[in-house]
Amino acid sequence: MNPTIVETVNVAREVAWLPWAVQYFFLIGLSYGAFLISLPGIVGRRPGWTGISRLALLGALLCGLTAPVALLADLHQPGRFYHFYLYFTPSSWMSWGAFFIPVYLTGLILYAWLALRPLLAQQAADGNLSPRLAALCRTLAYGGHESRGALLAAAALAFVGAALVALYTGMEVMVVQARPLWDTPLLPVQFVVTALAGGIGLTLLLQRFAPAAAGAPETLRLARALAATQLLALLVGAVWLALGLSGLSPSHAQALAQVAPSASWKLTAAWAAGSAALTLWLALRHPGSGVLIGLLALHSAWMMRWTVFIGGQEVPKTGAGFYQYHLPLGHEGLLGIVGTFGLWIALFVALTALLPVARLGGENGRTNI
Amino acid sequence: MKIARRQIVAAGGVAAFAAGFSQTLGRAVGNIADKVMGKPAPEKKLWGNAAAPEFTVDPATGKLQPNPAQQVSYTACLGCTTQCGVRVRVDKESGRVIRVAGNPYSPLSTEPHLPMKASVRDSLIAFSRFQEKGLAGRSTACGRGNAVLSQMSSPFRVLTPLKRVGPRNSGKWEPISFAQLVKEVTEGGDLFGEGPVAGFKALRDLATPIDPAQPELGPRVNQVALLSSVNDGREAFARRFWNKSYGTLNFVGHGSYCGGSYRSGSGALFGDMKKMPHAKPDLAHSEFVIFVGTAPGNAGNPFKRTGAMLAKGRSDGTLDYVVVDPVLTNADNRAAGDRGRWIPIRPGTDSALALGMMRWMLDNGRINTAYLANPNLAVAAQQGEPSFTSASWLVVSEAGHPRQGRFLRGSDIGLPVDEEERYKDADPYLILGADGKPVPAGKATAPAALDAETVLALNDKPLAVQTAWLLLKASIQRQSVEECADACGIPAATIAALAEKFTSHGRKAAVIAHGGMMSGAGFYNAFSLMTLNALIGNLNWKGGLVMNGGGFKDDGEGPRYNLDTFPGAVKPKGTPLGRNVPYEKSSEFARKKAEGKPYPAQSPWFPNAPGLATEWFTGALNGYPYTIKALILWSSNPLYGITGVRAQIEKDLADPKKIPLIVSVDPLINESNAYADYIVPDSLMYESWGWAAPWSGVPTKACTARWPVVEPQAAKTSDAPDGQAIGMETFFIALAKAMALPGFGPEALSDAEGNALPLERPEHWYLRGGANIAWLGKEPVPDATDDDLALSGVDRLRPLLEATLKPEEWRKVAFLYTRGGRYQPGKDAQDEANPEWQTNRFNKPLWLWSDAVGGSKNSVTGKRFSGCATLHEPAFIDGTPMRKVYPQAAWPLQVISFKSALQNSYSIAATRLTGIHPENPALVHPADAARAGLKSGDTATLSTPGGSVKTTVIVHEGVMQGVVAIEHGFGHRELGARAHRIGDERQPDKPALRAGINLNDLGLSDPTRTGKSVWVDAVSGAAVRNGLPARLVRA
Amino acid sequence: MKEMRNGSGEPPVAAPNPHACAESVSASRRAFLRGIPVLTVGAVAAPALAEAPGAQAGAHWGMLVDVRKCIGCQACTVACIHENAVPEGSFRTIVSTYSVKQADDAAQPAGTYVLPRLCNHCDNPPCIPVCPVGATFKRADGLVLVDGERCVGCAYCVQACPYDARFINHETGKADKCTFCGHRLDAGLLPACVETCVGGARIFGDLNDPEGELRRRMKAAGSELKVLKPEAGTKPRVFYIGLDERFQGKVEGQGALWKPESHGG
Ligand SMILES: Nc1nc2c(c(=O)[nH]1)N[C@H]1C(S)=C(S)[C@@H](COP(=O)(O)OP(=O)(O)OC[C@H]3O[C@@H](n4cnc5c(=O)[nH]c(N)nc54)[C@H](O)[C@@H]3O)O[C@H]1N2
Ligand SMILES: Nc1nc2c(c(=O)[nH]1)N[C@H]1C(S)=C(S)[C@@H](COP(=O)(O)OP(=O)(O)OC[C@H]3O[C@@H](n4cnc5c(=O)[nH]c(N)nc54)[C@H](O)[C@@H]3O)O[C@H]1N2
Ligand code: SF4
Ligand code: SF4
Ligand code: SF4
Ligand code: SF4
Ligand code: SF4
Ligand SMILES: [Mo]
Repeated sequence: MNPTIVETVNVAREVAWLPWAVQYFFLIGLSYGAFLISLPGIVGRRPGWTGISRLALLGALLCGLTAPVALLADLHQPGRFYHFYLYFTPSSWMSWGAFFIPVYLTGLILYAWLALRPLLAQQAADGNLSPRLAALCRTLAYGGHESRGALLAAAALAFVGAALVALYTGMEVMVVQARPLWDTPLLPVQFVVTALAGGIGLTLLLQRFAPAAAGAPETLRLARALAATQLLALLVGAVWLALGLSGLSPSHAQALAQVAPSASWKLTAAWAAGSAALTLWLALRHPGSGVLIGLLALHSAWMMRWTVFIGGQEVPKTGAGFYQYHLPLGHEGLLGIVGTFGLWIALFVALTALLPVARLGGENGRTNI
Repeated sequence: MKIARRQIVAAGGVAAFAAGFSQTLGRAVGNIADKVMGKPAPEKKLWGNAAAPEFTVDPATGKLQPNPAQQVSYTACLGCTTQCGVRVRVDKESGRVIRVAGNPYSPLSTEPHLPMKASVRDSLIAFSRFQEKGLAGRSTACGRGNAVLSQMSSPFRVLTPLKRVGPRNSGKWEPISFAQLVKEVTEGGDLFGEGPVAGFKALRDLATPIDPAQPELGPRVNQVALLSSVNDGREAFARRFWNKSYGTLNFVGHGSYCGGSYRSGSGALFGDMKKMPHAKPDLAHSEFVIFVGTAPGNAGNPFKRTGAMLAKGRSDGTLDYVVVDPVLTNADNRAAGDRGRWIPIRPGTDSALALGMMRWMLDNGRINTAYLANPNLAVAAQQGEPSFTSASWLVVSEAGHPRQGRFLRGSDIGLPVDEEERYKDADPYLILGADGKPVPAGKATAPAALDAETVLALNDKPLAVQTAWLLLKASIQRQSVEECADACGIPAATIAALAEKFTSHGRKAAVIAHGGMMSGAGFYNAFSLMTLNALIGNLNWKGGLVMNGGGFKDDGEGPRYNLDTFPGAVKPKGTPLGRNVPYEKSSEFARKKAEGKPYPAQSPWFPNAPGLATEWFTGALNGYPYTIKALILWSSNPLYGITGVRAQIEKDLADPKKIPLIVSVDPLINESNAYADYIVPDSLMYESWGWAAPWSGVPTKACTARWPVVEPQAAKTSDAPDGQAIGMETFFIALAKAMALPGFGPEALSDAEGNALPLERPEHWYLRGGANIAWLGKEPVPDATDDDLALSGVDRLRPLLEATLKPEEWRKVAFLYTRGGRYQPGKDAQDEANPEWQTNRFNKPLWLWSDAVGGSKNSVTGKRFSGCATLHEPAFIDGTPMRKVYPQAAWPLQVISFKSALQNSYSIAATRLTGIHPENPALVHPADAARAGLKSGDTATLSTPGGSVKTTVIVHEGVMQGVVAIEHGFGHRELGARAHRIGDERQPDKPALRAGINLNDLGLSDPTRTGKSVWVDAVSGAAVRNGLPARLVRA
Repeated sequence: MKEMRNGSGEPPVAAPNPHACAESVSASRRAFLRGIPVLTVGAVAAPALAEAPGAQAGAHWGMLVDVRKCIGCQACTVACIHENAVPEGSFRTIVSTYSVKQADDAAQPAGTYVLPRLCNHCDNPPCIPVCPVGATFKRADGLVLVDGERCVGCAYCVQACPYDARFINHETGKADKCTFCGHRLDAGLLPACVETCVGGARIFGDLNDPEGELRRRMKAAGSELKVLKPEAGTKPRVFYIGLDERFQGKVEGQGALWKPESHGG
């Protein structure tokens, strides 16, 4: 086919939200997703959930601490982050987000501390740690008491924070009418569903480091939950596609029309859908394949955000065709992505030095909550 | 162990984090540090990094307040050959050029332009919002004109004299002192350890003939040859040195590879094949214009002025136009709808279009025969016509007669004419009188018979004569409109419609051509197209075809100074290297004639062409008519610009035995002077002196002043405090001094009283040239005021002005610099007494039949050329059609060149242009692309018999089927595309500057010629860059 | 305020009443301000504007692009770059150029279409409400600007602009875009791109001045007057004559072959 209109001169806009943004949305999503998984065991005291909930909490904490750093890096004036607080702008979801993140993180940290205090105390007492670490552990445990009331309050705060974060991250992107691919009410839902799946996936992965506790029942439980999220994700995806194809929703139709001609976008979309389906199938058929489906879920959550953010920005708003994004190797690309994971790993190592995964994940290591 | 592993992992994580976030951290710390250190908050917080405006104008009162940190000066742009008057805005402290816009006094940048009497202050206010003056008086620089300012600070500039290290074209240079440069090139010697090289001093042999057997070649000094580019307002100076002082005949510009065929075709119509006068449509008042092979608003000269008037005409609804071109360019604009049309044409077939239109006009009585019948200007005027033609004059048509194809002259029929004057101006042209006898055309008092023919009896021999008109008529009648349509690919109905519309606007219509004529039938295409104008009689009419207003001469024997003649001046003589003289006057002809076979000549001669750079290099290397000993390349780039020449000569050029000395004067290293032995830095754009003139398209007199509005950056000629920047002028002055040549030195110039004056510094020449200009016309220009001087930056020149000029002169010359030139008021374009006529009229006849062409023979075949518009297919020198040698079956496509709307041939390093449009994919028609299995963005191999290149393709309907179109200005190997080593320093490597391809690397040699050659048009000798046979395959 | 039809049956474009000569300047100015959404907190929080000598009280700046006059020479593009020190690879304005295949029965097989693009200085600009720190705002004279002292470089506005008019300037680290050359306006001058527009396609002026060139041309254009993406409800203050509807929104066709080079961090 030979197109009617051929653009001979135009410029491309480079991607303005860099892979940093993908990392932020990915990590904050994992964090609140994992936080939600922590609730049944820690707040709900559901039998068989304690270990996985504590692992989920660890995941929520790690991701929650890493995410804002990635967010900061996506600013071109990171040293001006305090402007967010000097110039609150209610019309901007991002401005609200600047307030929601601390709410969530305060709640999460408090909640985690209250939930893990007894374990810290135990760990300090166990004598496995070097004297310096043991002292640190003891200090952090601050008596190691349980305070159920405070825990519930902190969990409630974190829950509110998580909800606000989920809301704002979804809305911030959804309100961008200039990008039909973003401007869809399903997007926040998709973010939440994949975040949840990612949270489960992360928990499954952390389980791998707690071999003693990697009992099949927990894995099966998580696998079932994961299957549910994948089903949901596929359903929402189907609705999105149906709305677009049927033309019932003009914004979806426009979004679809914009990205449909892009081969690379089609590939990524098919990839995302395919891996969701695969995860679903594996979770149902081989629920024991914990690490694998966990990784798959994480990867889908990441891909979904990559496709939305980077893919969305590859669609010119006025010009013809597509802008092609090639991941640079430097700060604003691969190095940035690796850097965020580096931070995550460093934190992981630090935290698990105090509280080994085995102890966290152990169903037996009761917290006496 | 376990701990260690954990630490390693943690350390890895931290390291990755640190690496990934170091930039963020840097930025954050930077932000905070700025705060803590109390770094002043930038005042321009709203305007990014924009510099403060150059001045402010109160929009209510019009009061102007200059910005003392900046200088605003008027000079010329050299972003292309248009040389527009521009306004250069400079940051005084750094000398950096901030931005360039138009000069409101210059008609090349402004329509209508500001009268000279407006003060500089008023000219600046004319930019402002005050009374919305800036909209009405908009004065512009084009995209390239804006972008090329970056050349000033280009890392590729040559700033000191360079001497090559290692073999030619090695890319390695050694900076040398000016003194060493001058000494080595004048004295010669074993300069490169390759054996002795003769210097300019030894080569200036005005006595010894090049070849005693061929004395007409002239003295040996002719073996020193200089190629320049375009007259940038400095050519007169350079010619004074090389022609008059040094004494060589061989000094040419780029005309033969610019638009030579067009200029020759136009020259034939205007009756002067050497100076080639030409005209342009009066776009301001035309109602219908056909652009054939010239793309208004896309390129063309004057680029901006044409573009602006085209835009105005088509949107105001006063102008309809058609662009006949194998490729769609920015000359079209769909938003303007059918006011502008693109009509695709097959390359090189424009004469078919012209003759088809003529045929339709002839058959439909649409040729203005009443106009054609006026035999002289007086009769024309009496008939209300501002111009006339030689259509009614008689031409010898007797087959085999030695005068066949020549106009019948008084001396032919026995009218008394001095033998001296035979066939010169005093020998009258003749028309057929009422009594059937020829009578002098000049004496006629009434329209003449057009359809006149007769057989005279001369010396008892019959001599058939007929009018020029009848000869053209026969040529027109030789083919039908349909046959023409078949030849050029434009439907017959379209040709007819064009002819009808062309003849429906009275005199407010015109046909114009240019670069598209550079094909294998270029001369006849151009001559035929331009002849259309004569057939409606539009010359000198407002809205028709109008003459350039001309310039103001700086270098003549002017009213204040004599910049022309001097004692000891040489009058160069001999045969020009390009053989643009009649073969029949050569020794070779005499010899061969004596041997009984005068034709063919060893290589073609071009009696009807101006100087031919196209034939220079191959000719010199073939040793025909002679070899050269030294070549000077002054701001010219033949290796990049002449189609096909590289493959022919690059090996020989690298061999110092072939051309022993190559010296270039140029601010940059281009594809040609990369082969030089020495490069002398020249001034760049806004650093140069000069008095430039528009080449055409401005109906009023205009002259653009060039002066160093910024300090020239090149090294100084000496360490002495008054050492001047090295450049063309200082170099040639130094050469003259070193060789003690006339025309330069302490007493080289003279004023009107005959007092001797020095010519030792550039300003001695240019400021005095300015005085000549200031005093031309009815009265001298007024004095510049102090305010003018201050606001225009010319106060910097004041010491020079005062030191060089007489007290009554300096403020007048300053007046020119403050205004950036001298410009006749726009209202003077039309005649006061007859407002429908142009003021500056061409008063000689137009020639439907060219005496010069029609009377000369092809030196290869010995056959006569046709003297009028003729359907001609692209052919090689001996008339063999191109398609006969390279048939369509083997070479299904034809490659053509079109100018980039953004780039020119040397702007590639202006990265602001490549940022918009980085390369030049070959443009292919969808049908041709489909056949080759190509889609946009694919890589393909494009081959011609002359070469082959890999190119990206872009596929769309904006190109004639069967044509591959290549935008000119890319495919560079130099000008930054290669990093040279100068001394110990290497220039930056910028691969982006190598982007794309150069069509000229695909150029053909002429298969019907022997020795080295490039394909040129047989009459004009102009390079053939359009219609190269080609094929395209997937790479 | 009169609503103007854009000819393609799309929602009307608000444009100044060409017959509003009788209307007082301040009244018509209020009419404009009414067009600004409540959400433009940024405008309220905008820094006090230093009184520049040439700043014109009561003006509402706008541009008219007569596409028929444009020759695609990119003088505007490059002049803007130099005037505003726009970094290599970035553009505040560009003249998109297209080869358009004509319908089979058309007199010519293809034509050139050019389209100068820049920030529209929308009266209902989606780029403003999203800014988390109120750094981008609409000045009283209609200019949509970024306060470089406040901007955190989050690029949210870049995402929100429906015209790809904004970008991050990697030399300043701030959001960047056409400012209508406010620094020149305040100096009593014209925007650089207008000053040097070879075809005379860019007309600049005060939308509140019914006698001005801008309004006169807009009036003369009648229903030919259009804006880009009228359906986006952004109320652009850059108007076009000769805007083909195929180019009014995102262009459907084959994209340009080249892309900007990465700025390399
Ligand atoms: N295929 C193809 N070939 C063409 C053309 C085409 O359209 N297609 N166009 C033809 C035409 S029209 C022409 S006129 C010729 C031009 O060809 P030429 O006249 O030979 O050379 P140019 O490339 O214009 O540039 C001359 C040189 O001047 C130097 N220069 C640049 N700026 C300055 C300056 O400011 N001062 C000084 N002193 N020197 C400077 C640079 O080294 C540059 O290479 O090319 C012709 N060749
Ligand atoms: N933008 C820009 N402007 C310039 C210059 C530049 O480099 N860039 N250079 C300046 C110079 S030196 C010159 S000489 C002028 C030249 O200005 P033009 O003469 O207008 O430019 P060209 O591109 O050489 O040729 C004009 C057109 O002829 C077409 N053409 C090619 N072959 C044929 C053919 O066989 N028949 C017909 N009918 N058309 C054909 C080409 O597609 C091209 O569009 O421009 C000047 N102005
Ligand atoms: S047309 Fe453009 S590049 Fe050429 S001289 Fe004029 S301003 Fe310079
Ligand atoms: S064009 Fe974009 S950046 Fe400009 S005002 Fe409108 S929305 Fe904002
Ligand atoms: S980049 Fe600057 S102007 Fe744009 S939204 Fe962010 S803070 Fe506001
Ligand atoms: S108004 Fe100024 S900033 Fe805007 S596009 Fe024009 S030159 Fe650039
Ligand atoms: S300067 Fe004017 S004519 Fe040239 S591209 Fe820009 S808008 Fe078009
Ligand atoms: Mo040229």
